[in-house]
Amino acid sequence: MTAVLLALPILLPLITALVSLLAGRRRSWRRWFVGASAVAQLGVALVLAHGAYGQPPQVLALGGWAAPYGIVLVVDLLAAIMLALGAITALAAILFGYAELSVHDEHPLRLSLVQFLVTGINLAFCTADLFNLFVAFEVMLIASYALLTLESDDWDIKQAFPYLALNLVGSTLFLVAAGLTYGMFGSLNFAQIAERADALVGTPQLNVLALLLLCVFGMKAGLFPLFYWLPNSYPILPSPVAALYAGMLTKVGVYVLLRIFGQVLPPDLPLPHLLMAWLAAATMIFGVLGAVSRNFIRGILSFHILSQIGYMVLAIGLFTPYALAAAIFYIVHHIIVKSTLFLVGGTVVVLNRTDDLAKTGRLWLVTPVLGVVFLLQALSLAGIPPLSGFWGKYMIIVEGLRQREWVLVFCALLAGVLTLLSMLKIWNGAFWASTAKEGVHIEDSRWRPMTAVAAGMTVLSLGIGFGAEFFLTVAHEAARQLLDRPAYINYLLGGGS
Amino acid sequence: MMWETAILVGLLFGGVCFLILQASFVRILFGFILLSNAANLFLLAMSGRPENRAAPVLVGPNGPMVDPLPQALILTAIVIGFGVIAYLVILLYRTFLDQRTANACELFDPHRERPKGDAS
Repeated sequence: MTAVLLALPILLPLITALVSLLAGRRRSWRRWFVGASAVAQLGVALVLAHGAYGQPPQVLALGGWAAPYGIVLVVDLLAAIMLALGAITALAAILFGYAELSVHDEHPLRLSLVQFLVTGINLAFCTADLFNLFVAFEVMLIASYALLTLESDDWDIKQAFPYLALNLVGSTLFLVAAGLTYGMFGSLNFAQIAERADALVGTPQLNVLALLLLCVFGMKAGLFPLFYWLPNSYPILPSPVAALYAGMLTKVGVYVLLRIFGQVLPPDLPLPHLLMAWLAAATMIFGVLGAVSRNFIRGILSFHILSQIGYMVLAIGLFTPYALAAAIFYIVHHIIVKSTLFLVGGTVVVLNRTDDLAKTGRLWLVTPVLGVVFLLQALSLAGIPPLSGFWGKYMIIVEGLRQREWVLVFCALLAGVLTLLSMLKIWNGAFWASTAKEGVHIEDSRWRPMTAVAAGMTVLSLGIGFGAEFFLTVAHEAARQLLDRPAYINYLLGGGS
Repeated sequence: MMWETAILVGLLFGGVCFLILQASFVRILFGFILLSNAANLFLLAMSGRPENRAAPVLVGPNGPMVDPLPQALILTAIVIGFGVIAYLVILLYRTFLDQRTANACELFDPHRERPKGDAS
């Protein structure tokens, strides 16, 4: 019974997307259907996460073809955590979208495309096959291309071009990397690659493959110097969709980096790990400098995604069990906080009719609730204790000090300070400023449910901050499971299913 | 065959780099079409040497066959590549209609003003 459950995170959104395509003009029916499905997906993800703790990974051989030859779906604790986070973010984005637009203003394709996007994301989390991962990325990317241009205006649409071009190049490199992997190992199954890769430790071939994979997934994650596609394209999205993108898309890249480098490739790859750590430091610094230089909320937040990606990838680059647990904890914290900040940005747009910081203002006077939500999340992003961002940063910095990587630690601390600076910029411009060019449209009652969704996410993030011990235990367990390669190989190939 | 394929793949990727880095939309488009073909050819090369091997069809004379898996992968990649290229064509065409230029340098010129009366 539980094995069938593994297919649901992929089947549910796929079926939802297809059915809501057929809904035609029954717009409110479609809203109820997609909303109910998002809740059901969250339920499935939570059941899977509950079942994954302390257990060996659950395996579903699709079509009954067992591991090395068939395609298998594997849900271990890390994948289950990511599925749950994806479901939470998607639910929040969908509810926020319902609050933002009346049922007649909503583009009829938006909900379907969001569900296709979720299908791709979930497949990327569950799959244990490199080529299937490629297909998952393509499902996700094609849905994201369509969503990016669906509601953009005639001027902004050009920003979709760099997004498409870079991701197209990235996908092709992924295809080449998958081909090379097959050529080297004669298999695309994660467990089989892991089994055969150990014999090649220290050879240039394995290093080249690792660097190619780092390049591919670094591009998806938004790692320096391949991040240029991100900060200009996210601001053209409608705010709920931007929240989903900001929460999930780059984190799929980070998740795959964790999966590939932590589990599939052998742990003795000093050169790629070192490169990863230094690229991460550069990402942090350049991302946060970009954020400081911007003067509209979504632009600042988009650059921040990059800077935060830097922390997670730095943790993967340090590559100790403790650092990987820190990376997992950081992902959990970041997805919730980042998408909430984008939701707050969307609410500011509704209230001030713009998110240009020169024209926004007076929000603290009018809606202190929104101010508190923003403040909590912004301080959490900057890493002020006892909020959730502090614990992730603390763990990463402790591990950096243990490894005596002084420069990397300095970069991380500097990026934290600059994060605070750019958050202050939003705070001063939108909440503290005494004038707003177009006034505050408080009579537009949409802001109440919108703020409620953001506040719900904030409660969740506060829970992560104050219940850090529980989440850290889970993250350590997930990292332990990830690094236990012999058990994974045995389980997948040794008839464990 | 291995060396010939390697050289051809290299030439194709070189041409792709040249075309994608051009400013004209049409050249960029051709670059991306060439890119997916170059990657597919690369995948095909992963089947190993084709000399003295039969096509992977089960009826017929027994003997060593080429590895059929890369061909299955290519089939998937072609379908995906086709879909994305179709999207790219439409995106570039709409950009051309909206922005009245087919030149990427002009498109991203920071001094370009947003036309008056355009919806924000």
